[in-house]
Amino acid sequence: MVDTAPTDDLTATPAPPVRRGTPSWVAAVACALALAVGISIGILIPILRAPGDTSAEAGFARAMSTHHAQAVAMAMRAYAGSADADVTTVALDIALSQQGQIGMMQAWLRQWNLSPTSREPAMAWMDRTDMNHAGGGTPPAGSMPGMATREELDALNQATGAELDRLFCELMIRHHQGGISMVDAVLAADPEPEVRVLAQSMRNTQQADINALRDILTRLG
Amino acid sequence: MISQSRNRRRRVVPVKPPRPWGAIGLWTGVGLVAALIVGYTAFAAWRGSRPWNDRLTSLAGVTDYASTKPPWLTNNHKSGPLTYEVQPSVGGDHNGTWQNCSGDIYDAPIAAEHATHSMEHGAVWVTHRPDLPADQVAVLSRHVRGVDFMLMSPQENLDAPISLQAWGYRLTVEDADDQRIPDFIGAARVNAGPEQGAACSGGITATGTTPRELQPQQGN
Repeated sequence: MVDTAPTDDLTATPAPPVRRGTPSWVAAVACALALAVGISIGILIPILRAPGDTSAEAGFARAMSTHHAQAVAMAMRAYAGSADADVTTVALDIALSQQGQIGMMQAWLRQWNLSPTSREPAMAWMDRTDMNHAGGGTPPAGSMPGMATREELDALNQATGAELDRLFCELMIRHHQGGISMVDAVLAADPEPEVRVLAQSMRNTQQADINALRDILTRLG
Repeated sequence: MISQSRNRRRRVVPVKPPRPWGAIGLWTGVGLVAALIVGYTAFAAWRGSRPWNDRLTSLAGVTDYASTKPPWLTNNHKSGPLTYEVQPSVGGDHNGTWQNCSGDIYDAPIAAEHATHSMEHGAVWVTHRPDLPADQVAVLSRHVRGVDFMLMSPQENLDAPISLQAWGYRLTVEDADDQRIPDFIGAARVNAGPEQGAACSGGITATGTTPRELQPQQGN
């Protein structure tokens, strides 16, 4: 009996365990786990989908912020110093809208958890796109397409009257043309929707500005 | 002995435990509530994140020129009087100066050439017949006064008592209390303007339908 008793218990009595359902703590843990997985997915997806540090989007946002900042500086100079109403009006339009766009681009970088600056050369992102520096010739390190040089800025700051108006129009046309080549580069990289929408808006607006500046130059003679 | 006891026990065993109706009901209820919460949240998120132009074109009575007439919506600066395909203008070439649109209410008609530039910057231009009753004008003013990227002016020869314009879109309504007015403004304001980041301040605040010709000041 002593020998058989264990056998009897193990094999002969698979007394069906009374179905008591899943213990409630197991259900609670399963629910908590499912919730944790769901929340993690919700948090991770936007992070994984955000453009990375070396993406065309991030490079464009950083470079175009710098590029725009110079346009704002030149436009503020023309707005304050010109007596030509056409020039001051287009200068105000450029300064206000490009400063507004700098804010949008900086907001993207924060939203993507990226630094507003990078140790990469400013135009490295553009070299990685399909449209590196359309028009030929990589600009010297640290510069961007269409940017005014230190000497040109000094000349603008010292110019007055019709000379200021003409110099502003010429520098801004070249600046905008360079800006459009940067826009085309980021558009060629099939960017995130928010970047594409703003880039297309910049292209459209800067081309209209170029036309307006050319009209002023023609009138100035 | 052993096999006998096995058989006997097996036969006795299949006693069906009673269905735990209470627990089933509870978990079904919890599941349903959870599904409702998740479903509604997803629906609300989807609704809120619908693109602005979908929200705009799903409004009854909105005319969508942005999709149907893109060639009209050029955005060059031109001086002098311009002709627009639609009255009032819904976009196109415009004067270099924009009409101030920082929630401005103009008491006389304004130049479409300036207002079109405001719409390029993202403003919604509210127009009404000059003889619209004062109480109706007051209701409209509540959507405009002090609201950035809004401007309002009376307009001659309107084909409806009230007409709202944004770049590429138009809505006409009969009554200032029409719910589509705030819906149109909510979707179009700032969003519809093709020049992102542009401002409404710094424009002209004068009325009159002749666009200002900018004359360069001679001298210095």
